[in-house]
Amino acid sequence: MQARPDPSIFPRRGFTARFVQRRTMNASSRFTPYLYVLPLLALLAFVFGYPLVRIFEFSFKMVRGVDGPWIGLRNYELVLSQSLFWESVLHNLQLLLAIPAMIVISLLVSILLYERVAGWKVYRVIVFVPFVLAIPIIAVVMKRMFQFSGPVNEVLRWLGLDFMALDWIGSSDVALWTVMILIIWRESALGIILFLARLLSLDESLIEAARLEGASWWQRVWYIILPQMRGVIEFYAVVSVITMLSAVFAYVYVVGGGRGGPGTSTVVVEFYIFNALIRTSLPGIAAAASVLLFLVSVALIFPLFRARRLANEQEA
Amino acid sequence: MHDFTLKDISRRGFLKTTAGLGAGAALGAMLPSAPALAADKTLDMWWWGEQELPGLQAFVNSSIAGYKEATVKAMLQDTAVVISQFQTAAAAGNAPDIQYLWNGINHMESVWFGYLRELDGLVNADVVTASNPTRLSHFGGHVYRVGWYPLPMLWVYNKKLFEQAKLDPNAPPATWEALLDACEKLKSAGVEAIGGGIQDGYWSEWYISHALPQNLDSLGEAVELFIGDKDFRDPKYHEHWVKLEELKTRGFLNKDMSSLELYPGIDLVAAGKLGIGQTIGTRLPADLKTADGQLGIMTMPLYGKGKLAGVPLLDVQGLGISANAKDPKAAAAFLEYLHSPERLKAFWDATGWIPSNKNFDTSVIKNDTVRAMWEKWGLGQNISNVTNVMPGQFYERAAIPTGQQIVQGSMTGEQAGELAAQTAKEWRDFNPDLVEKYRKWAVDLSSPT
Repeated sequence: MQARPDPSIFPRRGFTARFVQRRTMNASSRFTPYLYVLPLLALLAFVFGYPLVRIFEFSFKMVRGVDGPWIGLRNYELVLSQSLFWESVLHNLQLLLAIPAMIVISLLVSILLYERVAGWKVYRVIVFVPFVLAIPIIAVVMKRMFQFSGPVNEVLRWLGLDFMALDWIGSSDVALWTVMILIIWRESALGIILFLARLLSLDESLIEAARLEGASWWQRVWYIILPQMRGVIEFYAVVSVITMLSAVFAYVYVVGGGRGGPGTSTVVVEFYIFNALIRTSLPGIAAAASVLLFLVSVALIFPLFRARRLANEQEA
Repeated sequence: MHDFTLKDISRRGFLKTTAGLGAGAALGAMLPSAPALAADKTLDMWWWGEQELPGLQAFVNSSIAGYKEATVKAMLQDTAVVISQFQTAAAAGNAPDIQYLWNGINHMESVWFGYLRELDGLVNADVVTASNPTRLSHFGGHVYRVGWYPLPMLWVYNKKLFEQAKLDPNAPPATWEALLDACEKLKSAGVEAIGGGIQDGYWSEWYISHALPQNLDSLGEAVELFIGDKDFRDPKYHEHWVKLEELKTRGFLNKDMSSLELYPGIDLVAAGKLGIGQTIGTRLPADLKTADGQLGIMTMPLYGKGKLAGVPLLDVQGLGISANAKDPKAAAAFLEYLHSPERLKAFWDATGWIPSNKNFDTSVIKNDTVRAMWEKWGLGQNISNVTNVMPGQFYERAAIPTGQQIVQGSMTGEQAGELAAQTAKEWRDFNPDLVEKYRKWAVDLSSPT
């Protein structure tokens, strides 16, 4: 039997006392959650908000050293009128071409692993290794392999494929594609792991039922597996777009000899910003280019997430 | 006897004890520490160079240990932040007393910002002159650096390969025609004639350092190219790129030049796989060992008509005193100490390399080629690296890419001149405030050296 509480502990109170208590509790309970998250908000504002505000501010100044005079939109005019900036933008856009390849490769490999080919657990570890290694390390190794007299061309020449032995990192026509190969190789590892995780959570009875109904491998993939993976594929695509726009600096820096070269053939917007800030002492220009990159990234990413939300709503 | 326990501490007692300890700690902090009593002056020194001259750290350590006039706290800087770290600290009023300074525009910008002190009347003039801070450290008639160690820039060739091509190993080509002839003979002998590695861009910079001055009368004339008084489209100012194009079109450059970096490219000469290349003096002692002494050195063969044509090229790394220095005289005294005869010898012992001082006793240099190099490049007439007067924007956008594109065959020398002129204009648009500073600097750079 449950014990009843001692009435003396909870004395009855009058209406006024209850009203004041409720008002006080309502007011405090309304603000209490905000108080709990306030330190974190303050930290986020300091870590992300303050630099963002400063970058916007710098983009309107001719900064020399740590500050400078206000010059309105002049930095934006200079950036947008410079051919190198547009060349950099074009290179970023070219890198977006890698995303379909990354998705297809990741899907194929992850489905093959899901089919539990012999030794699939070992393969799973091997394909993820590139993603665990630091980009500069694999980029340096790949750079050596792709030198004109390096192992890749040596093998091609040995196979009698001399016409394919290109100057992979020394030719302006080829260097960006070499960077792209490296990016596809490394970034696909993330796709494989994401896709495999999703595959392993699928209801296998559906696939088994399709198999019993006589569906071919391709039909099972196309009609059963892929529709259920739509969400994770979209997520990976969004992450990859962000990567191609604002997280390929390390690849370009190493493969392009620290210069975005040969010539300016591998300069991307991130590298343009780095050069403006570090090598040419133009923080205002770097800030203006950063703001443009930020705005473009936001403009691209929000519609993607919105499309995803609409798709989810339709599915529901 | 009553045993003392924590329970015996009253709140008042606790507060008293805490306040007493706090006051004691504060007083202690204000008292001079033991080392400070030994030398009541403290100097902060930010330096760089171990990265390019191993052994420099040992020299700095021994210099600090042996210096009794002040306590010197040294910090080795990362390559990427040598300039920005100093400028940021200087803007905040926290710069070190002594700062490592690369030559030319790499420290001149800090001069223009007011972050460096002029050394006239601060450091002994004889020490400054003997250290050869170079003309590039002068602005408005004042000097801002003391030289620390030199970087002779030269051309190197493999004597064995010259013999193989029936060329005189002791008579390197002195003119452009002689160079083309030598390259032809090397090529005929099955040897890759000339080049190196340009993938990281530095070969391109070095090439301009050797070649552009051939049509200049002073380094100030180079500055005029950037401020718009002269034009890279004028054939004499892009002839050096036309010459590079000639080496490319005649098939004299090594085939993997575009995919090799600078130092692996120099290795090819020492290893007997490439006839002629560019190098830097600090590499010479080790490369001579690799090549069993079969390396020869030369200046770039002549084609130009300028007063600077054929003059050996010598860059010098240096040290300066920041405007924030609390005791500039103490900082100056330490710089003078680094140039004392005993320290100059210690420098050689620690690094195996020559300190930048004309009074250095060269008898300690045992290798004839290295001594000959120092006597010609270091003690004779020399000029500074012209790329050190280039604005960073020009360096990145024109100086480096032009060489790379000519070497891969996607740009002509004339197109390189066009790009250079366009980039110089772009720099003026981006930096209207610096153009006048450069114009004033050109006056110092045009003075007789």
